[in-house]
Amino acid sequence: MRNDRNSFIFRLLLTLFVILVINFFLPRMMPGDPFSTTSDDDSGDEVIIMTEEQRQYYMNYYGLDKPVHEQFLVYLKNLLKADLGRSIYYKMPVSDVIMLHLPWTMFIVLASTVISTIAGVILGTFSAKNRKKGSDRIMMTGLIAFAEIPSFLLGLIMLLIFSVHLRLFPLAGAITPFAHYSGLGEQLWDILYHACLPVMTLSLAQLTGVYLLTRNTLITVTTKDYIRTARAKGLGEKTVWTRHALRNALLPVVTRAGFMIGIMMGGVVLVESVFSYPGIGMTLRSAVVGRDYPLIQGILLVIAVSILICNLLVDKIYSKLDPRVTI
Amino acid sequence: MSLLKINDLKCHYQTDTHTVKAVDSVSFEIKEGEILGIVGESGSGKTTAALSIMGLLPENTAIKGEIIYNEKVISSLSEAEMDRFRWKDIAIVFQNGIEVLNPVMKVGIQVMEPMNRHLDISQDETRGKCADLFRAVHLDPKWMDSYPHQLSGGMRQRVLLAMALSCDPKLLILDEVTSALDAFTRKEIRDLLVELQKKNGYTMLMISHDITFVSSVASRVAVMYSGRVVETGPVKDILVSPRHPYTRGLVHSTPDIFVYKDLWGIPGDIHTNSDFTGCPFFSRCNQKIKKCNESAPELVPVGDEREIACHRGGVAELLKANDLNYSYQLPDGHYLKAVNDVDLEIMEGEVLAIVGQTGSGKSTLAHILANVIKPENGKVTFMNESSNKANYGNKLNGIQIVFQDPFNSTSNRFTVLDAIKEPLDINKIWSKEERVEMAKNALELVHLPCTDAFLNKYCGELSGGQRQRVALARAMVMQPKLLIADEVTSALDVSTSANVMRLLKGLQNRRGFAMIYISHDLSMTLKIADRIAVMNHGRIVEMGNSHEVMLSPSDEYTKRLIDSKISV
Repeated sequence: MRNDRNSFIFRLLLTLFVILVINFFLPRMMPGDPFSTTSDDDSGDEVIIMTEEQRQYYMNYYGLDKPVHEQFLVYLKNLLKADLGRSIYYKMPVSDVIMLHLPWTMFIVLASTVISTIAGVILGTFSAKNRKKGSDRIMMTGLIAFAEIPSFLLGLIMLLIFSVHLRLFPLAGAITPFAHYSGLGEQLWDILYHACLPVMTLSLAQLTGVYLLTRNTLITVTTKDYIRTARAKGLGEKTVWTRHALRNALLPVVTRAGFMIGIMMGGVVLVESVFSYPGIGMTLRSAVVGRDYPLIQGILLVIAVSILICNLLVDKIYSKLDPRVTI
Repeated sequence: MSLLKINDLKCHYQTDTHTVKAVDSVSFEIKEGEILGIVGESGSGKTTAALSIMGLLPENTAIKGEIIYNEKVISSLSEAEMDRFRWKDIAIVFQNGIEVLNPVMKVGIQVMEPMNRHLDISQDETRGKCADLFRAVHLDPKWMDSYPHQLSGGMRQRVLLAMALSCDPKLLILDEVTSALDAFTRKEIRDLLVELQKKNGYTMLMISHDITFVSSVASRVAVMYSGRVVETGPVKDILVSPRHPYTRGLVHSTPDIFVYKDLWGIPGDIHTNSDFTGCPFFSRCNQKIKKCNESAPELVPVGDEREIACHRGGVAELLKANDLNYSYQLPDGHYLKAVNDVDLEIMEGEVLAIVGQTGSGKSTLAHILANVIKPENGKVTFMNESSNKANYGNKLNGIQIVFQDPFNSTSNRFTVLDAIKEPLDINKIWSKEERVEMAKNALELVHLPCTDAFLNKYCGELSGGQRQRVALARAMVMQPKLLIADEVTSALDVSTSANVMRLLKGLQNRRGFAMIYISHDLSMTLKIADRIAVMNHGRIVEMGNSHEVMLSPSDEYTKRLIDSKISV
């Protein structure tokens, strides 16, 4: 057991190191640098906004003129002191920038995970119960076709329909700018109102996966001997489905939900951009445009670490749910 | 009063491409307090029958017929109505498997679940009752808080048993409860079942392919084959004298019943053609007649509480001999009674061994049965016809005899081919080309080469073992229904004789002919015989199941014969 634990920690550290290396070198492999950016990112032309001397000064100030391996060592050393560096664009510590935007992302990611999981399980159960009937076939075909739409496109369509045409939801942002709230309830309502479309988009994009997983696992589970045992015990259809079938079928769904959070942390970039939602996805996008190396590194690290944490949590939760698994 | 009655039950699994008749016209009943065993090999429909009683068959099953529990037809109840009977009245102990119990629920909870549902008692009482049940099946109640995967196979089987008993059912169905267990645990579970039955008087339906296990618990047994019941009756009678050819095959291939005998399964496989309307055992039966191909036999009573489904009324009699007598005149004018008032019968496909010391009259008896010599008085009938009128040695599907000494029974001057097809030549059976073909087939049967070089060899050039095989091949070309093997291995060395014996028994098992095997070698006899007749001074002094004769001989001479075996 001890050996297992040691090798587990070793593997974790190794993973983290590889992530750090990639996080560090990938942004620097992009053309350009933080001080020769465009003011207009659509034209693609580099507009020099600084003189060469100014540029050299800043390169020196941020330590970017040193050899790359030295920069990397400095980066690692600072990391050990829990210092993520300073954002070149925001002119403030990277950790502060991240803390400012991360909650928004966490909010919509968690909310959409919960919504898509619950909806997927309900739909999947319905489909499994009506297996091979018309309703199951229609639902399955529809949802699979739906899943083929990329999430940013889905977001755009939603935006066009609900915000532009129906004017039901705001076009951008997480809160109404310069609003004065009379109370907490009103503030909360404003937040939910703004989060609605992004969360819906993310939920819909994840829905089919959960639905299919639930449906197929349930169908497999219902052929198991213990379902026959439960039926034989005369427990009634409802108990058989909930206590015995669903309880077992949910195991992989929980795993999936955990991984989904991690994956969405990365995938949320495009959706946040569509809705101009101020999460770390949007921030990452602007950081990449501005070649803000420390900020890119910081955000990528947060995303990677949150994926790792999610995986760990999934393992822990799974071992609680399934007594056959021990970690 | 019968607690459970099943009338003409049919369960057909329907897939997109074909129908599997898992249970086909099955009827049986169980009286209150009775233990009925259902035996049969895998795929015979036992479990399907059990599941149909509980209403647990999959949706793609077409179910016809009636299941009557306590004078109430339960086969037509809805799921919700059926739930009131399940477990409270009829409970089932499933075959132990890793996923019979829910893997993510503690076993105690799973045992308590039906009690919460069906019994009106508090949670504390339920838990107390659960602990009692655990103790009743000899399991420490501390295991209640374990998950199924933490228990051994035997423990899980006990949990399943405790679970089945939780609502005090009237009828308990046991489905292969011991087949996945080791011998020791199997014995424990058996004893436990017997103990529980004695104490609580459960009515039980016990399903297993393990005929020994079923027989040790059940009072009555039904034998199923290919979805039909082929034989029912009291356990003892079925074991001692199985009447259906399938039951006989099943009993004979059970090592616990025939401890000494070599293991020979029933040749062939269960037929799979669902359109076939004949007897389900047709393809594997060794006594089939034309009718068997056309219609399936009904289960009919044959007396002594036994029922059998066979167009021939069960294993049919092949040869019967009454009051046979034969004497040799000695040089001094006295007569020696070589065969003295012998009665015997041979059933289809049966191997009867006649043992006794030299001079006890075995060979003389064999010669009379084969119609080689005529008895002084008495009568031999073969397939219900007197063998004196129609000489069955001259015909196909008759009686053939293989003698002790191959050097005398096959002529030195004959080629192998001539020796083998001689009976066909003499009796003018088939054309010349066909005879050669049949001779070659017979050679193949006895594992000899059928090359031209070998066919043209003279018998004088062959070894003893080869010549005995040629003699056997000569008997086989006549496709006998009864083969008499008179000391066929005594002239051969040990290894050769072992080979010839295995060959002989293999042929018998595969081709399904009956055999009278005459020998003075008891050990050898036990390996192949179903029945043994012991001869002394021309009389049959003892006759019975080979293991019974061997284990508990009643006659003094038999005892002496068994004791005279030289053991190493």
